[in-house]
Amino acid sequence: MALSVRSWVANEGGKHLVLVLWLGANTLLFMRTFLMYYCGQQYHYLHQMLGLGLCISRASASVLNLNCSLVLLPMCRSLLTYLRGTHTVRSRKARRLLDKSKTFHVACGVAICVFSVVHVSAHLVNVVNFSVRYSEEFPSLNVARYRGEDPRLIILTTVPGITGILLVLILFLMFTASSYCIRVSNYEIFWYTHNLFIVFYIILIVHVVGGALKYQTNFEAHPPGCLRANQTNPDKTEEESGQAVGDGWSCREEARFQPNSPETWLWVSGPLCLYCAERLYRYIRSYSPVTIVAVVRHPCDVIELRMLKKDFKAHPGQCPTEKKETLGIHLRVVGDWTERFTELLLPDPGAESEILPMVQQRRYPKLYVDGPFGSSSQEVFNYEVSLCVAGGIGVTPFACVLHALLDGWRHFRLRRLYFVWVCRELQSFYWFAELLCALHHKLWKENRPDYLNLQLFVSQTDGLQNISEERYRPLSSRLMIGRPRWKLLFEEIGRTNKHKRVGVFCCGPKGISRTLHGLCNSDRYSGTTFEFNKESFS
Amino acid sequence: MGKIEWAMWANEQALAAGLILLTGGIVGVAGQFRDWEFAAYAIAAGVFVCLLEYPRGKRNKGTSVERTGQYCFTVCVKSFGPLTRNYYVRAFLHAAICVPGGFILATVLGCVCLGIASLIYLAAAIRGEQWEPILPRKESARKPVGESIKLPPQNPPPRPPAEMRRKRAEDLEAAAYVNPITVTANDD
Repeated sequence: MALSVRSWVANEGGKHLVLVLWLGANTLLFMRTFLMYYCGQQYHYLHQMLGLGLCISRASASVLNLNCSLVLLPMCRSLLTYLRGTHTVRSRKARRLLDKSKTFHVACGVAICVFSVVHVSAHLVNVVNFSVRYSEEFPSLNVARYRGEDPRLIILTTVPGITGILLVLILFLMFTASSYCIRVSNYEIFWYTHNLFIVFYIILIVHVVGGALKYQTNFEAHPPGCLRANQTNPDKTEEESGQAVGDGWSCREEARFQPNSPETWLWVSGPLCLYCAERLYRYIRSYSPVTIVAVVRHPCDVIELRMLKKDFKAHPGQCPTEKKETLGIHLRVVGDWTERFTELLLPDPGAESEILPMVQQRRYPKLYVDGPFGSSSQEVFNYEVSLCVAGGIGVTPFACVLHALLDGWRHFRLRRLYFVWVCRELQSFYWFAELLCALHHKLWKENRPDYLNLQLFVSQTDGLQNISEERYRPLSSRLMIGRPRWKLLFEEIGRTNKHKRVGVFCCGPKGISRTLHGLCNSDRYSGTTFEFNKESFS
Repeated sequence: MGKIEWAMWANEQALAAGLILLTGGIVGVAGQFRDWEFAAYAIAAGVFVCLLEYPRGKRNKGTSVERTGQYCFTVCVKSFGPLTRNYYVRAFLHAAICVPGGFILATVLGCVCLGIASLIYLAAAIRGEQWEPILPRKESARKPVGESIKLPPQNPPPRPPAEMRRKRAEDLEAAAYVNPITVTANDD
């Protein structure tokens, strides 16, 4: 598949622009701080003592400041939902960038880890230099108490040292628990370690208060490299004594040093307060438990939960609502939490057949719901033509879209929806069979049968292959066995929607989303541009 | 907290700690600090820990994700049998390896991180977890299909005698018949 420049720019341009800007900001900050410590007069004596370690450690510290402040912003999900939903951000291109907020968070996190390694290594060298090159000439510049003090002792007895070790340990715990493998298998480890971020930030603010590195305050009066006053010629004039480094002119004063004022709190406090406010808002919003109205067991290990929550407002495409007050979710029972949840909600299926059916007062567990949060699927309504591809349980974001269309489809910009749903087993289609048929009938009655173009695929070829119920005829006649052929589908959509922008929305396994992403970036479709949007659950 | 598999987290931590130990060792040797021999030990220990921890173990339930190219490491680690299967052995091994790292500054962090990993392995061992290698799944034997299915049919399908088959215009309903032998696909 040949890459098309126009398609690539439409799909990837925004993201890569942000990436370039971010890398540029990091590089600029690193170089500026490095040069300040390398060439700056006020750091001349400190640089002499510590060498390159000083410049590298300070430069990486400034990059760390930037990334520690940026890393919190993509996680303010309520704020992003607000920006996305109320069209405060008018351009669709900018709203698509909001979909990549988690990726940006990960990029900043990786940068924090990498630069922490650089910063710690450089400071380890600095500590050894503080010990070995203890300066008798400028005693206030020293951190070590005497020449040759054990570097480990220096670290353990200074505030920056101890806080630095604690920060590295917390970062180590957070980083090792955030790999994809751990998030997929044991999400609680990731969640609880990542919530140590607040401890990290508090210790970070204390870390810079130590004041270990000092700068010279009076370098005009005492140009670095000048000789001491009692060794120079006292006849030299005042203008000549302010010469450049190494001239050997007289110093009018002794060098005076002052600790650097801490900058980190300036960078970090804004985003930290914003994020804490966001968490508080989410906690208050989800404070009252929801009322469980109905629990339905579906085939293929899926349960549907219908709930009632006071003051719950969702935009079209944010969550499936039958009526405006109730909200429903479909969840697939895969891990230990969902299994336990199912046990609490539904009676054991074996027990029903033995005991006479009694109306039992079911004691449901207290359930709290946080949200709604926006996702890329909300944009389905903002394209003239959209293609929604769902794999298995990934159909749930699109169920919201279908519900919204069922309530009223005329006022959206969307004119045609291609809906492709791929499942392993036939029984999975029963999760939303009613909804699909209801929408199909409604569109048929209102004389727009071409609005929804439905294609269902069963990928496992040796199971059941026929939906036999009469009321689900629209589905059985659109059911195909085997995997979909994406190239042909894209070609067909391109031919029938020439010179349009088609929004492609994918929620499913990685294989499908990779293939679709590649097809969206390639060049074969008679002037049609496909814009790729992905939603993932992990 | 449900059925958390601590060993998976301990494995990530030990791998990261091995890398930190390796980096600290390189810094220590390159800077030619006092007692740089400890740094040289840390390089060797870091490499050993990374090689031991690179192959991921199999999950009890669910799909296990392999690390890239881990198959040859899996085979090596598997060959040590109970020494690598048991997490008590790994916990004490990591605890022992990390101690010399605490003697010089450059490797102190590697020592502490490996110590934490060793504690998590101990927790995993107490909960009875074990290291199982991820081996490639053998292709499940397909259902044996007779060779004759690949050849075109030799005989026509069974039908009732010609008299019955002849359509009688006056009695179309009686002319319809039910196939005596059911015809379904893939009957065997």
